[in-house]
Amino acid sequence: MTVTARLDAPRRASPLGPLALAAGVAGLLSLCLLLARLPAAPSSGLPWLLGVLALLLVGAYGVRWIAGGEGRAAHVLPAAFTLLLGVLAAEALLRAYAVPPGLIPTPSLVLGSLWEARTVLLQDTLYTFGLEGLLGFLLGTVAGLLLALLVVRFRFLELGLLPYAALFSSIPIVALAPVIVKAVGLEWPSKTVVVAVTVLFPVVVGAVRGLQSALPMHLDLMHTYAASPAQTFREVRVPTALPFVFNALKVGSTLALISAIVAEFFGTDGHGLGFRIQIEVGRFNLSVVWAAIVLSSIVGIAFFGLINLLERRFVVTGRNA
Amino acid sequence: MTAAAPGARARRSPLLPMLAVAVVAVLLYLPLMVWANYGPAARSLASGADLGCPTALACATQLRNPVLPSPGQLAGGFGALSLPPTSPLSAPYNAVVTGGETLLGLALAVVVGLGLAVLLVASRSFERSTLPWLVASQTVPIVAIAPMLAVLLGQYGVQGFLPKAIIAAFIAFFPIAVGMSRGLRSPDALQLDLMHTYSASAGQTFRLLRFPASLPYLFTALKVAATAALVGSIVAEISTISFSGLGKMLAENSRASDTIALWIIMVYGAVLGVALVGLIGLIERVATPWKART
Repeated sequence: MTVTARLDAPRRASPLGPLALAAGVAGLLSLCLLLARLPAAPSSGLPWLLGVLALLLVGAYGVRWIAGGEGRAAHVLPAAFTLLLGVLAAEALLRAYAVPPGLIPTPSLVLGSLWEARTVLLQDTLYTFGLEGLLGFLLGTVAGLLLALLVVRFRFLELGLLPYAALFSSIPIVALAPVIVKAVGLEWPSKTVVVAVTVLFPVVVGAVRGLQSALPMHLDLMHTYAASPAQTFREVRVPTALPFVFNALKVGSTLALISAIVAEFFGTDGHGLGFRIQIEVGRFNLSVVWAAIVLSSIVGIAFFGLINLLERRFVVTGRNA
Repeated sequence: MTAAAPGARARRSPLLPMLAVAVVAVLLYLPLMVWANYGPAARSLASGADLGCPTALACATQLRNPVLPSPGQLAGGFGALSLPPTSPLSAPYNAVVTGGETLLGLALAVVVGLGLAVLLVASRSFERSTLPWLVASQTVPIVAIAPMLAVLLGQYGVQGFLPKAIIAAFIAFFPIAVGMSRGLRSPDALQLDLMHTYSASAGQTFRLLRFPASLPYLFTALKVAATAALVGSIVAEISTISFSGLGKMLAENSRASDTIALWIIMVYGAVLGVALVGLIGLIERVATPWKART
């Protein structure tokens, strides 16, 4: 379908690609090692900066070579190598300019404290994601779907309730969280409620739009089959609604963890990633903070990926065929 | 659930149902509020505090620090917080400050998002190597990065308005980049072929076809991004040293445990969110007049 002119044609045949990639990664790695060996930070960062930039360019050429290919490797490897190059470049530059770890810790320091504080951080992640994020997400999704069914069934509620859903979804989470934490209490249920509320409204709006998007032709067809309303609902309305619902769930999955962490800033009983981040920022222990951020990002991405996987399993694509 | 014609469904005013839902919500809220406040009221009465009311039930609507505020308290707090609207301590003034930061952040995000979208559409290797990390950047709790970002920007002399706008932009750029790249790809083969037969250059095709075609997508994305950017600027105000803005008010009142003020600020936050989305809708009408009929 796309007649888009790509700037980059696949250049598989060139032997320069793999060579450039290897040179970029190895060069940056040796720069990092060299800087780590130096007794003191170099007096001028500029030559190092130029070296890093040159190696990044060489590496980028290599990444472009892998991305030009086809198949699974071409989808996974470019992103992985971009991360590797970026992390190595950041490490080299932070060391070359001797940035204090209280301002930005080097990636190796972050990895180190991720390993050292692993038990505490994993407990916090379990608390924030399991008790608050996941439970709130499930609660919000179930409540949202039920509400959507009511709204679709009763025209009165569609007129009366849906405008409020739009209004409520524009309340910033940060403004909502302190109110709910004050009302429900400092323990984890308050955070679960915050997550449920933030997930609820996208699900209601998405599910209502989805349930109403069945084509009149399909409904007529079911009518000519003398299908019961329940059959029509199961066979036509639910399948057409699923893509909309999953879109809302994807939005909700990224919101869930973030709103749990934000809610923890307004009071906790001493557990959770948000609490940990807040405490360690106060101590200028930034490598632990970044470790917590890395961990929460990994969990967030995994959760998003899970929803994506479920979508592929349950949503029948090719409706527009 | 009947398959009525859409034209027949559309002609009813939502005013009456909305009012009915609001009345039901208030009627449900009142007993909940009394029930939630009864316990704390009874406890402070039992501890011998002079609340100025005879029974716990009577005190439930006038606690100084209620679990859920009563409508009367909310009305009082609303007046106290918003009456001289130009005072630097009032909620409307601070909402305007936050709104300005958010708009500046959105403008920054559009610039960055447009650039990224062009790159994403133009180069597949760029898409494959960066899109996963663009998605990943959205799961990063920006709250945690905000204070560090503020310190960092402060080192290079960036202070005041700008750090908040940059943090707002950091949250908002992703939906814009994704929406724009979808929009830039939206012209179909027929339209692209037509440009080709006119022997239009890539730049002309972009300016005359791809860019206008992407505008509706841009505005849809902007509406999503506006609420997110608002969260970003409020969070930035909370976690950096700031002297105005809803975030500053939130942080102060959360520390002081002033429940009523927190509720009022929440209402102002919601109003600001609605106003921002409305403003974008207004700009959309001007910028895409060919869609104005719908």
